[in-house]
Amino acid sequence: MKNKIEENALPLSKRLQMSKTLRDIFTSQDSHALKIAFDALKSKMAISEESLESDFNRYFIGPLSPIADPFSSIYLDNLDQVMSKSTLKVRALYETMGFTFPQQNQIPDDHIGIELDAYYQLLYIEEVKNIDYLRELRHYFLHEHLNLWIPLFIERALACNEEPSTAMVYILTQLKSFLIRETNTQGVPA
Amino acid sequence: MSYSKEKVDTLLHNGISRRNFLKGLAASGVLSSFPGGLLEANEDLNTKIPYLGEKSYETFRNACPRNCYDTCSIKTFVKDGVMQFIEGAQESTYTRGGCCVKGNSYVKRVYSARRLKYPMLQVGGKGSGQWKRISWDDAMEIIAKKLLEIKKDDGTMLGAALTKYSGNFGITHYGIEGMFNSIGYTTRLAGTPCWPAGIDAQNLDMGNMWCNDPEEMKDSKFIILWGVNPASNSVHSMKYIYEAKKKGAKVVVIDPVFTEMASKSTQYIQIKTGTDGLLALGMQKIIIDAKLHDQKWLDANSKGFKELKEYLDKDIKLDDVSKVTGIPLEMIKELALSFAKAKPATIWMGYGMQRHTNGGSMIRAIDALVAVTGNVGKYAGGARYGHLSTWGFNYAALSMPKPEGSVGYTGPEGAKGEFAQVGGEKAAYTDRFLNINKTARELLNSKDPKVRLLWVACKNPFAQDFDRNQLIRAFKQLDMVVVADQFFNETAKWADIVLPVATQFEENDVNVSYWHYWLSLNEQAIKPIFEVKSDVQIAALLSKHMNKLEKGSCTFPQSVDTKEMTIKEFNPGIYTQFGIKSWEELKNGPVKAKAVIPYADGKFQTPSGKYEFYSEKALELFGSALPKYLEVRKPYDKFRMTSPHSRWSLHSQFQNLEWMEDVHPEPSVYINPDDAKMKMVNEGDTVAVFNKQGLLRLKAKITDNVQPGTVLMYEQWYNNNIYNVNELVDDTSSDMGAFKTGAPGVALHDTFVNFRKI
Ligand code: SF4
Repeated sequence: MKNKIEENALPLSKRLQMSKTLRDIFTSQDSHALKIAFDALKSKMAISEESLESDFNRYFIGPLSPIADPFSSIYLDNLDQVMSKSTLKVRALYETMGFTFPQQNQIPDDHIGIELDAYYQLLYIEEVKNIDYLRELRHYFLHEHLNLWIPLFIERALACNEEPSTAMVYILTQLKSFLIRETNTQGVPA
Repeated sequence: MSYSKEKVDTLLHNGISRRNFLKGLAASGVLSSFPGGLLEANEDLNTKIPYLGEKSYETFRNACPRNCYDTCSIKTFVKDGVMQFIEGAQESTYTRGGCCVKGNSYVKRVYSARRLKYPMLQVGGKGSGQWKRISWDDAMEIIAKKLLEIKKDDGTMLGAALTKYSGNFGITHYGIEGMFNSIGYTTRLAGTPCWPAGIDAQNLDMGNMWCNDPEEMKDSKFIILWGVNPASNSVHSMKYIYEAKKKGAKVVVIDPVFTEMASKSTQYIQIKTGTDGLLALGMQKIIIDAKLHDQKWLDANSKGFKELKEYLDKDIKLDDVSKVTGIPLEMIKELALSFAKAKPATIWMGYGMQRHTNGGSMIRAIDALVAVTGNVGKYAGGARYGHLSTWGFNYAALSMPKPEGSVGYTGPEGAKGEFAQVGGEKAAYTDRFLNINKTARELLNSKDPKVRLLWVACKNPFAQDFDRNQLIRAFKQLDMVVVADQFFNETAKWADIVLPVATQFEENDVNVSYWHYWLSLNEQAIKPIFEVKSDVQIAALLSKHMNKLEKGSCTFPQSVDTKEMTIKEFNPGIYTQFGIKSWEELKNGPVKAKAVIPYADGKFQTPSGKYEFYSEKALELFGSALPKYLEVRKPYDKFRMTSPHSRWSLHSQFQNLEWMEDVHPEPSVYINPDDAKMKMVNEGDTVAVFNKQGLLRLKAKITDNVQPGTVLMYEQWYNNNIYNVNELVDDTSSDMGAFKTGAPGVALHDTFVNFRKI
C-alpha cells in the first residue's frame, strides 16, 4: 500500500515536498490548481479536474455544509464557529514566528492550508537554510496544535459513508501519514 | 523532549520573554529565509510589542437590519479585527442597551462556519449538488454575458427578473433594485407578502400609514394589543406596555391564540379567527349607543360618521357579534365601554390579522374604533400599524438611470412595493411587475418575453413562498438563477450561481424602523470574511463586466465604497427631522426623530383631507366605502391552520445557527387537546398535516393555547429540513393591498387542513 507508514524519516526533500503539496491542495482556489497539487501526490488515480474539485468542495468547502470544515476552531472550540479562541492562539503563534498574514481576518488563521503553509515554511528554514531558531516553536505547533485537531478533522472526513470519494480518502490518508511521520521522527513529549 | 510547552506558553503570554525572543528572531536571519507562501515574513517586526492581546476594543455603530419591529441600534466591540461581542446601544431609549436572543447571536452568525464563503457555480445543473468554486470575475462575466444575450435575443432586458424582499432593510440595499434599474427595463416580483392589506386600509382611512411613537405607550391609559405578540416579536416595546400597566392602564390582548403576550396582559380575549372586524364594529355600536363617542373630534376631523352610524344601527346585531366572535356579549360591552372611557387609549394591530381574505376590512374596522373614540391624533393614542415617515432618504443606490435606448414593458404599470418611494415622470416604458405572492406561477407563465434569468437577494423563496413543487419547476426552466445570500439554503440548492453576501458588520449602511423613530448608522466593523461582498459591491462588479462586454450597457457605478454609498443617502430633510447637522454625528450613537403626533393637526392625506369612515376610493377599488364586516373565507377542510412568527427566528433567518437549533430543534404542530383526543393523537406523536396543496409530517404538541378547530405551526425554515409551512398554503389573496403596494396580500391564515397520526 502506497500510504503505508514508513519506519524512518523521509528524505528531507520529500518531507518538505509533502508539506508543500498538502498545503497547495488545501489552499487551491480552482480545479486546475487543485489537480496539479493532487497529481503531485502521485496517486496514479485517473480523475477529471471537475470531479476532483466537486468532491473536494463537498468534503471541505461548500456551499452546502462540508463533511469536515478545515478550521481548528471547529474541533477545538465550537462546532459551528470560525475566528474563535484557537484561531487567535494560532495567530499569536504566527506572530511570534515572525509571520504576517496579509489575508488576516479574511481567512481564519487556523485554516488547514494556512497552518500547513506555516509548517512548510518552518521546515524549510530548518532543512534548507539550516536555521534552528524556530524549531522549538515548530514542535510546539505540531504537538500542541496540529495534532490536537487534524486527526479529528481526518476522522470526521473519513467517516463520510455517503458517496465517499477515493481521491479525498487518498488526500486524507497522505495527510495522516505525514502527520504521523512528523510526530514519530521528532519524538513526542514523554 | 523536543520542546518545552511551558517555555512556549510563556513566550506567548509573557511580554518580556516575547520581546527577547523577537529580538533574537530578528537577529537569526529567519525573516529573510522564509520561502514565502500565504504567510509572509514580517519585515516590520515590532520587537517592542509588550504583550499580545492587550490592544483594547474598538467600537463601531451598527443596526439590526432584519424585518423586525425593533430595528435595534447596536454597539459592536472589535479586538484585533475580530468581533468580540455586541450590545444594544445605550443611547437609544428604545433599544436601551439590549438586543434579543437573535441579535445577541450576531457574533456567532457572522463567524458561523456555515456562511457562504466563495462564489460557486453548480456545474452539474440545478439541484445536482456538484459545485465549482469560481472567482468573482468569472461569476460576474457569466451573468453579464447571459444578460446581454437576453437583451440581444429579445431586444429588451425584460427576460431578467429580480426577487428581493426583507432580508436586509438597510437603505443602501435598495441598490439591488438599483442594479436592476441600471441594466434596463426588467421584470420584478413586486408587492409584499407581509402587510399590504393593512397598508391599504390605513391609507383609505387616513391617507397614510403613520403610527405614533411606541415609546408613548407608557402613558396610554388603555392598550389593546390586537393580534400582536410583542412579548415574542417586539421585545423592546414591552417596557412601555409594562410601564403603562404599572401606572394602572388596562392591557387587553385580543388574539385567537393564547400567546406569550396574552399571559402578560390584564385581560385576554380569545376571538374566533377572522372575526376581529365584527368585534370592532360591535364595540363601536355599543360606544355610540352609550354616547361615549367623541362627537367633537368627529365633527371636525371625519367624513362619513353618519353613514357609519346608520350602517351600525341597521346591520350590526350585538347578539350576532357575540355568536360569531365567540365572545360573551357582557364581555364585549365591558371592553367597549371601558375602552371608550379611558383617554388616551390606543390599539396596536398585528400583521397576521390582515392575512385573511377580509384582512383589510378588519383593519379599517379597528381604525374606525380608534377614531370614533377620538383617539386618533392624540399623544399615547392612535391606531398603530406601522410607519414609513422616517424613510425619506435619497435612495441614491436605487435611483440608477436606464442605459440609453432601453426598451421596456408597455402594458399597464404596477406599483413597486411599499418601500420604493422614488418617483419619476411617466416614461414610455416601464419595468414588468409580476406578483411576488404568486412567484412560481408568474415565472412559469411569463411570456413575451419569457423570464430567463432570476436574481434572488435578501429573500429565500423556497422557505417562504408558496407551492414548492411549482417553484422547483419554475426555477428549473430558467436559463440562470443567481442567489446572493449569507447562508446556503433551499433556494441556493436550486441556483446555478451562489454569491456570498456580507453581513451588516462587514459593510456600511443606514437603518430606520417601520415602528420606532430612531435612526442608526451602520459602520463596517470588520473586514468581510472569506470572499463575501456587500450587495452594492456585487452590483458594481456586475456593472464593470457588463461595460467591458458592451460599453454603456449598465449605468451602476463600476466601483463603490459602501461608506460613500451610505453618505449619499442623507439629505437636509433627514437632518432636520432628526435634528443633526451631519451623518457623522451618528457615530456618537443613534438619534431620534423630533416628536410628532400623527394627525394631531387634523390633516389627513385622504381625498377629503379628513379621516374617512366613508371612502370613495375604497368603494371604487374594493366595493365598499364603509369598513363593513366582510365574512372570512369559508373553510375548505376540517381545521384552520395559522402560521405565526416564532421568537427564535426571523422568517428563515437565524434558525440555521447551531445553538438556535438546540433551543428549537424541530418543527411541531400545536393542537388543541379536544381535537387531539378526537384524532387519537398524543404529545410527541408524528402526524401528517395535509390538505389539497400538500402534506407535512411533524411532531404533535398538545396545548389549549390554540382553540379547538385550529392548528398552529410556526412559519420558519428548519435547517436540514425541507419543512415549509407555506406548502400547505394556496396563494388566495387578501382583500386589499393592490392600492398602495401593487398587489394584494396573501390570506395566509385562511388555510385549512386535516391531520392524522402516522
Ligand atoms: S431581531 Fe429585532 S429585536 Fe432582535 S436584535 Fe434584531 S431588531 Fe433587535
